[in-house]
Amino acid sequence: MTAAEAALTMRPEGLAARKALRNSRLRGAAFAVFAVLAGYLASRSFDVAATFSFWIDKQGGETATLSTTVGAMWVVAAIATALVGVLQLRSAEFRWRRWLLVAIAPWIAALLGNLLAGKAAVLTNVLAGSLELAAPISMAAMAGILSERSGMLNIALEGKMLVGACVAAIVGSIVSLATGNAVLAVLAAVVSAMLVAALLGLLLAWLGIRHKVDQIIAGTVINIGAVGITNFIFLRILSRATEYNSPPPVQAVRIPVLADIPVLGPIFFVATPYVYIAYAMVAILTYMIYRTRWGLRLRAAGEKPAAAGTVGINVLQIRYRALILAGLISGLAGSYLSLATSSSFQLQMTAGKGFIGLAAMIFGAWHPVGAFLAALVFGFADATQSLLSILGVDVAPQILQSIPYVVTIVVVAGVVGRVRGPASAGQPYEQG
Amino acid sequence: MRLELRDITKRFPGVLANDRISISADRGKVLGMLGENGAGKTTLMNILSGLYKPDSGQIFIDETERTFGDPVAAIEAGVGMVHQHFMLVPVFDVVEAVALGAETTKDALGTFDRAAARKRIVELSERYKLDVDPDARIESLPVGVRQRVEILKALYRRSDILVLDEPSAVLTPYETEELYAIIRSLAADGTTIIFITHKLNEVLEVADDIVVLRRGRVAGTADPKTATRQELANMMVGRDVELIVPKGPAKPGEVVLSIEQLFVRDDRLEMAVNGVDLEVRAGEIVAVAGVQGNGQTELVEAITGLRTPDSGAISIGGKRTEKWGPRQVSNLGVAHIPEDRGRDGLISPMTIAENYILDTYHEAPYSRNGVLNLKVVRERAAQGVKDFDIRTPSIDTYAGALSGGNQQKVVVAREFSVPVQLVIAAQPTRGLDVGSIEYIHRRLVEQRDAGAAIVIVSTELDEVLAVGDRIAVMYAGRIVGILAGDDATYENLGLLMGGATYGEGTAA
Repeated sequence: MTAAEAALTMRPEGLAARKALRNSRLRGAAFAVFAVLAGYLASRSFDVAATFSFWIDKQGGETATLSTTVGAMWVVAAIATALVGVLQLRSAEFRWRRWLLVAIAPWIAALLGNLLAGKAAVLTNVLAGSLELAAPISMAAMAGILSERSGMLNIALEGKMLVGACVAAIVGSIVSLATGNAVLAVLAAVVSAMLVAALLGLLLAWLGIRHKVDQIIAGTVINIGAVGITNFIFLRILSRATEYNSPPPVQAVRIPVLADIPVLGPIFFVATPYVYIAYAMVAILTYMIYRTRWGLRLRAAGEKPAAAGTVGINVLQIRYRALILAGLISGLAGSYLSLATSSSFQLQMTAGKGFIGLAAMIFGAWHPVGAFLAALVFGFADATQSLLSILGVDVAPQILQSIPYVVTIVVVAGVVGRVRGPASAGQPYEQG
Repeated sequence: MRLELRDITKRFPGVLANDRISISADRGKVLGMLGENGAGKTTLMNILSGLYKPDSGQIFIDETERTFGDPVAAIEAGVGMVHQHFMLVPVFDVVEAVALGAETTKDALGTFDRAAARKRIVELSERYKLDVDPDARIESLPVGVRQRVEILKALYRRSDILVLDEPSAVLTPYETEELYAIIRSLAADGTTIIFITHKLNEVLEVADDIVVLRRGRVAGTADPKTATRQELANMMVGRDVELIVPKGPAKPGEVVLSIEQLFVRDDRLEMAVNGVDLEVRAGEIVAVAGVQGNGQTELVEAITGLRTPDSGAISIGGKRTEKWGPRQVSNLGVAHIPEDRGRDGLISPMTIAENYILDTYHEAPYSRNGVLNLKVVRERAAQGVKDFDIRTPSIDTYAGALSGGNQQKVVVAREFSVPVQLVIAAQPTRGLDVGSIEYIHRRLVEQRDAGAAIVIVSTELDEVLAVGDRIAVMYAGRIVGILAGDDATYENLGLLMGGATYGEGTAA
């Protein structure tokens, strides 16, 4: 037998393989512990009712109700967790990250039941609210995808959204005062928010491309600048002259026919136009990025700009355009905040939504559909938080308000695992 | 098409990269362009591909003057480029990578007409026998196939003039033979080929005409039918060089390095070293040959303490070291000349003197109680610069400002500044000119004759054959054969490097 053959037959499992096996067993054990915990919680709560209802046709109309007990929900959670645990223990190759959702979803539902402690909850509002709250996050994620696919890191989304929100409030108020035409005022507000945010995108591109400023630092500068300027405008002007901070609100629109579908209609087809635009954006971007010449070149610029440059593609132009387009989208997302949520601009009202958008982008592996689904998770966390606050559950409001951010940290740090972004994102490209 | 360059001059700040270079290549001919690093080959190529504009001079294609303002103009004029570092997007499939920049679209949205591109690629690969799976992802392809994709990329753009920059640098000897066949068939079909290389054998093998560049100028031309390797080498360097360092027979002593059943994983946790057994004795040079990426890097990292092996034993001078860190290994008297000197060998923004003491700064006489004795540091560094003939304005020059050859001399000077029993030299002459190669080889042989055990890891057959007393060939993480230096030839090493088993145990 040759040395090479001997090596093959004696091939040891090796350090990493042993580590993987150990981790697999630890995970399996952890799932088992959680399954037992769920069982224990079930045993304590069979007497607590869980009542969830849905509006059948419209807000405040008739409801369809699901009634069960919190104990039964914990039983489901226990079974699901135990199932994942068994699958994990059977094989070290088990793709646990995907299955984690199977275990987590019933846990979240049961926890919700526990927190409600017998109060009836209307789920239509939570689900429709998730979609609403996901819209700006999803748009921010789309802007992030466009930028990073072209090779530019864009942490300035937060700042662009904030400035967009502020500009939309002011322009909307002024046009509304001047013309009294709410539709015109909203359109002017949205367009001006997009243009100003696009200018900030251009500024980021100019700093990062022309002057090769570190893209994280350039983005941070814009974020800090956005907070400073909007704080100044709000405290000096808007808080005194409130007529300049009263844009006409953007209302929910019922889609004819579809909105009449029982139960589903009120969830999916009664929403502000932003939600429909967010859907459309996902579809359009997916097609453009993966099926067109523009998308091919965009991805090449972000993955290996030299390969694009040597066949005569203008990489820098692609990056400039991507950042301007991302700016337009983040301005639109920002205008949502001041037009559709509160009908006024508030201090630092983005509250991290731009960053959560970036988290959704990463969670969704830089793919529009994935990022949209991730944005839904964050939107759901946010909507749940408001539901619990409104129902006045027995938890400190500070803790409730932190839920969306905790979800972001858990998702990005724990669940996402290793996903690969565009290889050259953040690296300046030297064009000959 | 006939290509002619007349009096091309290109100046960079402080450097005259191309000085009135005139060359020409006829339709269907292969022009071999030979030159060392820094001779101006790459600059000339970038001018030809439209990436740089020449300061003066003219480019004629079929007797018509052309000016290339950008890569598109060069591509439209029929000049296709195969870059040394492949210009392919790793996450694209072959169709996307080839069509990028020359995509056909089928509607107003600019939808990429993949089917049309795929059809054309399949036709081209059949016509020129460039065997490629059009739907494979680039990153999953071996380098030889990636190079075919690069050639397809040029043909897809209807290039009649193909420029190949150091095309064999990453290929196995077998793949190189395949490349020669492709080049010959393209030339027979009427494509004009410029073949840029620093390897003497290649131009002799494949070129119809040879032009040698040196320091930005044409140093001369040669006819491959009559020219010899020695003539070409002298023309490249500008003086008489010794291609083979004179060395006496090895006098192997006791075993210094012993490796048993070593398994090491790479960064992606794949098993890169797959059960290696190797013994290296005092007073001999063992050359580890192999194509890049067959586990040599991880083997070297394991020996020098930079990477912990999965299993197996490493003994140096009788001590078990597989669990040791790099400083412990270094203190045993192990010199390490790393593969990537810019990344692992030197700290570019630090001075020569500082780089000279990188592995001994914490010991007497350089430091006491954590304070450096700068006087001693400067004295010793100055001595090292003198001993190793490092061409530098002063010891306070930043290491990054030196030429590749002088940078490598700094690394060697540092590593040999303390007594060594084992030298691990990974790609010690990569990217160096013939003169520096000669110098480094001489120093390694000196260490051998002084009684050190030497391991040289190299992908260059010329180097392996020139210095190895024994030659171990690595393939897929294993040593597939060990040959005595005298028994080794291009042919049997080439076979082993391509994965054939041969000569197992010979002279081991």
